[in-house]
Amino acid sequence: MKKLIYKNPTAQKIYDSYFKRVSRCVSILSPNDQLELQMELNSHIYEATNDVAPDKEVEALIEALEKLGAPEEMLQPAIADKKIKQASRSFNPKHVLQAMYLNVSSGLGYLTLAFVYLLIVAFGMLVILKLLFADNTGLFLKDGRFKVFGFTPTVPAGSSEVLGYWFIPLVIIIMLVAYFLNTSLLRLLKKQ
Amino acid sequence: MYYICAMNSEFIQNWLSQVKKGTLSYIILNILNEKEYYGYDLIQEIKLHTTLEVAEGTLYPLLNKLKTDGIVESKWVEQPSGIPRKYYTLSAEGKVTLNEMKKIWLTLETAIHKIQK
Repeated sequence: MKKLIYKNPTAQKIYDSYFKRVSRCVSILSPNDQLELQMELNSHIYEATNDVAPDKEVEALIEALEKLGAPEEMLQPAIADKKIKQASRSFNPKHVLQAMYLNVSSGLGYLTLAFVYLLIVAFGMLVILKLLFADNTGLFLKDGRFKVFGFTPTVPAGSSEVLGYWFIPLVIIIMLVAYFLNTSLLRLLKKQ
Repeated sequence: MYYICAMNSEFIQNWLSQVKKGTLSYIILNILNEKEYYGYDLIQEIKLHTTLEVAEGTLYPLLNKLKTDGIVESKWVEQPSGIPRKYYTLSAEGKVTLNEMKKIWLTLETAIHKIQK
């Protein structure tokens, strides 16, 4: 992207400083999305200040930037939207978590997503606990009735763990299914 | 008395803000129905035709949302200055949407006229 050059050094400093903030805001996005948002703002600032005499550059630039508002606020909806698109395309957990963080204020759907992701992390921890405390982690039944699924510091009296190390693949399958369903929910929310 | 005026003024300001928020999309779609515009030019056109003070910081997120919803399309056009412009235009779906909005607007306008008498 071609940066704007001002004759007035103060105007140049103001522009550079504003664009530094813009770059910081959009850095969470893919290179294409970053460029798209930066180019549009750059184009707007150029149109608002290009016909101005050098001694009026600072005034015109400040007015244009004030009307645009703080990039952190102005770009937030676009960044949140583009991040959701990126997350639902890639299934990448990093992008999914970032998209949830940016959109969590948008409603219950995203809170549900965050909760299910927390559950996925908790299931992941169960795998580690099974490896460390095999006797206290698993599916515990007593007389064929369910007692505990997961980790328990004290095994309920008379109950026994029935899955053994098959508990680990079962938990991994549950995690994968939950992850797939959650990312599908993310796509659904994006369409709304 | 002063308290009542202050309250009314606040109420009217809030109401006006809601009206602006609700009608800006409709205004934009009507303007884009004529020809394509780039962001800065679109703001000038809105100012020319309405008394609405449209903040640039409001317009760009709204254009982005309209694009996400498939109502407008955009394309970059290179300029001799080396700073390209992003032109917005109504999509086919946008034209259908605008026609529906026009019907709703006319119904509302008729109803308001009847009520106001």
